[in-house]
Amino acid sequence: MYNKVDASIIEKLTEIVGKSNVVTDREDLLDYSHDEYSLDDIAAYPDVVVKPQDVEAVSKIVKLCNANKIPLTARGSGTGLCGACVPSFGGVVITFENMQHIIEIDAQNLTATVESGLMLMDFYPAIEQKGLFFPPHPGDESATVGGVIATNAGGARAVKYGVIRNFVTGIEVVLPNGEIVNFGGKFVKNSTGYSLMHLMIGSEGTLGIITKATIALMAPPKEIMTLVVPYENLHDAISTVPAIIEKKILPMAVEFLERETAVLSGEHLNKTWPCAQGKAHLMIIVDGSREEEVMNLAETISEVCLANNALDVFIADTKSKQKDILDIRSGIYEAMRNYMLEILDITVPRSQIAHFVDAVNEVAVKSGMWLPTYGHAADGNVHTHLMRYQWQDGKWIEIENWEEKYQTVRKELHDLGKKYKGICSGEHGIGIVKKEYLKSFLEPEQIELMRGIKKTFDPNTILNPGKIFD
Amino acid sequence: MKVVVCVREVPDTETYIKIDASQKNIVDANVTFVMNPYDEYAVEEALKLQESAGAETVAVCPGSARADDVLRSAVAMGVQSVIRVNVAEPIWDGLTTAKLLAGTLKEMDFDLLILGKEAIDDGTQQLGPMLGELLDLPCISLVTKLDVADGSVTAERESGEGVEVIEASTPCIITAQKGLNEPRYPSLRGKMAAKKAIIEVKEASVGNVQLEVTGMEYPPARGKATVVGEGVEAVPELVRLLREEAKAI
Ligand SMILES: Cc1cc2nc3c(=O)[nH]c(=O)nc-3n(C[C@H](O)[C@H](O)[C@H](O)COP(=O)(O)OP(=O)(O)OC[C@H]3O[C@@H](n4cnc5c(N)ncnc54)[C@H](O)[C@@H]3O)c2cc1C
Repeated sequence: MYNKVDASIIEKLTEIVGKSNVVTDREDLLDYSHDEYSLDDIAAYPDVVVKPQDVEAVSKIVKLCNANKIPLTARGSGTGLCGACVPSFGGVVITFENMQHIIEIDAQNLTATVESGLMLMDFYPAIEQKGLFFPPHPGDESATVGGVIATNAGGARAVKYGVIRNFVTGIEVVLPNGEIVNFGGKFVKNSTGYSLMHLMIGSEGTLGIITKATIALMAPPKEIMTLVVPYENLHDAISTVPAIIEKKILPMAVEFLERETAVLSGEHLNKTWPCAQGKAHLMIIVDGSREEEVMNLAETISEVCLANNALDVFIADTKSKQKDILDIRSGIYEAMRNYMLEILDITVPRSQIAHFVDAVNEVAVKSGMWLPTYGHAADGNVHTHLMRYQWQDGKWIEIENWEEKYQTVRKELHDLGKKYKGICSGEHGIGIVKKEYLKSFLEPEQIELMRGIKKTFDPNTILNPGKIFD
Repeated sequence: MKVVVCVREVPDTETYIKIDASQKNIVDANVTFVMNPYDEYAVEEALKLQESAGAETVAVCPGSARADDVLRSAVAMGVQSVIRVNVAEPIWDGLTTAKLLAGTLKEMDFDLLILGKEAIDDGTQQLGPMLGELLDLPCISLVTKLDVADGSVTAERESGEGVEVIEASTPCIITAQKGLNEPRYPSLRGKMAAKKAIIEVKEASVGNVQLEVTGMEYPPARGKATVVGEGVEAVPELVRLLREEAKAI
């Protein structure tokens, strides 16, 4: 159904981007055959990778692919966790290494306009130096702006300020027919027809190629405080969260994790997790405009925590300590990476999260799989690692019969997600690996509507085929 | 037993440092000042003695009223009482600082004085040894393990070749190196208590400053890292680059 990339296509691509920006060497293509999802049964090589320098070049590439019915997949940094940027049908992969510029930081509109290849690790310091702040913090700062928009990424600091969707005000998009359009702009309000911009956000590269984005910024909170709260068990820790929300407090972030995983990550990063007490911890970030205000929030939260069996409440009140804690939390994935099969992303209403996590732990006990579970407690967004190895007495030991257990446990956990009225992905997206679950979490009518939208945008199905739904 | 720790404020490593127009100082506005990280090891060691041996703990800090925050941090961690030696301007001359503090410390009748091995802003490592000289006390620097007995201490310090084990009689001075302990984070209760802590302020005259900062410059921008490859296969290329381009081997 698709045409092959032949020598004449390569020649035309070379004309558009120049020889040094075309990759065809099979060895070099390996890097573009997968993302962070660890099992290679979904991997697929592209025929060619192109690295355009500007939107005009992107438009030409898309037109070429559309005219020749060649699949085209956009790729950011490949930090995705569900195979969304894997070129399942081969063809062309387009990357944005040459489109990483910050075009403007507009202090009067409080926006930044950037090219889609810009990595978050370069974005945060650039705006911080201008005294501005961008709250969303997906765990891997090498992710690109295009990637985080295409997956509607979330991260730890979403409780109070929201996810990427809440910060994008405009995007420049190359449609599957190669036309360049601008959705949204520098507007705070916009009721001008359907929001195609919001349709693009989270569309995993299936509706258009994002080349630029305008992102809303804010003044940084004057005071930030991170609390680390130890508990004897995870149930008590997570049960505290709805009680905090009930007090009408929305912290910037509320993460839950087991001490064991924090220690593992700390060792990996050569940093020390600040608390040796207890088995399960909450990490809570609160912010405000005055120290007194933040202290009052911290005090109220502390009272709720202690009433829910917290052992103590520790405080990180300097930027460097706060960074250490966030780094260790963000580094858990990296510490587990080589020993795991998959990280899940099931999200339930926050009132259900303790029950859901209890049920996950029952599955772990019953199956003998190690299922370290942590995540964004106040978003109800739970990350469970399906592990191939178990960390025991300072050593990684392969779990017996993990292959057999993997699929059964995976299904059981998603069934639990449904039972607790959840969804199968809160922030990582569907990609390839969660397609089978989309069907069970959404009504057939919803998926039909999505198919119709895809057809309207991309009648030839050239953009990132085989993703989200078949 | 009485344990005194010297602490000092330094810019948080996570803040952007700007040099001011005079090129001799940094712009203080928007910089958050925190307790020097090496001093946290010193405070932690004192607190361990407070808990295990009932030691009395006191923190001393030179500085203006702004430095009170650092002393409150010490209280939040658990230090019992705090003293600020009042100086309006930061002093970059190690000897002047040592003389200034020696005046206060001389009257404190301590068994153990613990400092961080250095402040991360000027990094001179002078204060501990200079205080040893001025107070006529033994000083063991860069300590990574400390045992305190009645009337003496045994300390370990890592040298290039191995570990030195050193004994000294008390009173004596210790400077703390990373690895000595894991400094605790303050509890919320500690932080609340610290807000009410009484800070004793001592006036002292700054002597003759003999050292002047004549200029400050930014470090050269760091070059971009390149990933040569992964695993064993990448080694020959890495060695080639290190030899031919970086001329490092
Ligand atoms: C350690 C770690 C921690 C993580 N933590 C979080 C977290 O806290 N929250 C979270 O939400 N995610 C998290 N992720 C997942 C991942 O970082 C995000 O999904 C991120 O948004 C992917 O960005 P990327 O640039 O790597 O995109 P890629 O993985 O390269 O691509 C992801 C999708 O975006 C599409 N895409 C990329 N660029 C464009 C473009 N310019 N135009 C159109 N489509 C495009 C691709 O086609 C693909 O469908 C984490 C991943 C890791 C490895």
